[in-house]
Amino acid sequence: MPRQVPGGDAPLSGRPPTQPVWDLPVRLVHWLLAGLIGFSWWSIENHHTDWHMWSGFAILTLLVFRLLWGFVGSSTARFAGFVRGPRAVAGYLRGGWSGIGHNPLGALSVIALLAAVAVQVGLGLIAEDEDGLYTGPLYRLVSIDTSDQARDLHEAWFNVILALIALHVAAILFYRLRGKRLTKPMITGRALLDPEAEPMRPGKWWVALLSLAAALAFTRWLVAGAPPFGT
Amino acid sequence: MRPVRTILILSLAALGVAGAAEAAKVNIRAVMHERHEGMESVGKAFKALRREFDSSSPNAATVRASANQIATLANRSSGWFPKGSGPEAGKTGAKPEIWRNWPDFVAKERAFQKSAQAFRSAAATGDMNAAKARFADLGGTCKACHDKYRAEMHH
Repeated sequence: MPRQVPGGDAPLSGRPPTQPVWDLPVRLVHWLLAGLIGFSWWSIENHHTDWHMWSGFAILTLLVFRLLWGFVGSSTARFAGFVRGPRAVAGYLRGGWSGIGHNPLGALSVIALLAAVAVQVGLGLIAEDEDGLYTGPLYRLVSIDTSDQARDLHEAWFNVILALIALHVAAILFYRLRGKRLTKPMITGRALLDPEAEPMRPGKWWVALLSLAAALAFTRWLVAGAPPFGT
Repeated sequence: MRPVRTILILSLAALGVAGAAEAAKVNIRAVMHERHEGMESVGKAFKALRREFDSSSPNAATVRASANQIATLANRSSGWFPKGSGPEAGKTGAKPEIWRNWPDFVAKERAFQKSAQAFRSAAATGDMNAAKARFADLGGTCKACHDKYRAEMHH
């Protein structure tokens, strides 16, 4: 029996060829965010307010990095590449979308989740606990009453985040039932893609490092009270 | 008629007992209300002090006034936890563990009062560094009691 000569980048094992779709920064942000949101919830439920705050600062850093990477990252990371108007969403629902990465509907989910988490972080930055023993680094920008209200809102807003996460997981399951695997590509970064579609253009690693450095510097500045504003 | 007079006296006695019980219940509710308002005032003063100490130049007069307020309320707090003023009497952050561990609770209450008095003294000297240190100790006494004896209260 003649040995089958593999084509493209297909491995000898005979598995169909996969293409890169999600770069490492996008995948790291995705899973770290999921883990940190879970840890943020667990830590405050168990009264580890200090851990909770550090978890929040880590989430802030990830959000800032993702925002930057959304402008300078790989083609599937860039917001310009997947954020579309309502007509594109309707077109996608009618089956008229071809591309790789986030489809127009998935894009709404990405924006909604990132925005909701950003709101949560923002509230935490100005909040204080019930006794005033723990304060967000920007608490002095607002009044005592506002900090207290921010805390109550921060607690209630988590339900919005939970609802969006549930929707997100439901959507992934829904796609899975229709034969589209989405979880594995978000781990490995590779998926079976339409060979006609334009391939992912990777980002530059030094741009990623610079973006991370900028995100860390920004968080550090906020944690210090955003001098001179918060001091 | 004799039986009527007996019935009358017994009814009045029953009403008297019921009235006393009702008055005691009202008293408990009044104490719980004063406790809640008092603790809120302590918290508000603490938060104001926190902001004052974190500013570039804390105002000594403001610090003194808030320290006095907290010390006064701390001294009053001894009367805020009569038996029967736990969750059985209504909505409260006071956990039943308070009366189950009364000696430990009282010890923490005394620590709070001592710390509040030390803070008031430090604030009176005008030395903001000393006051800041005593303020940190005071926060510790709040936390020590609350961690064990206060339940979440959603208004």
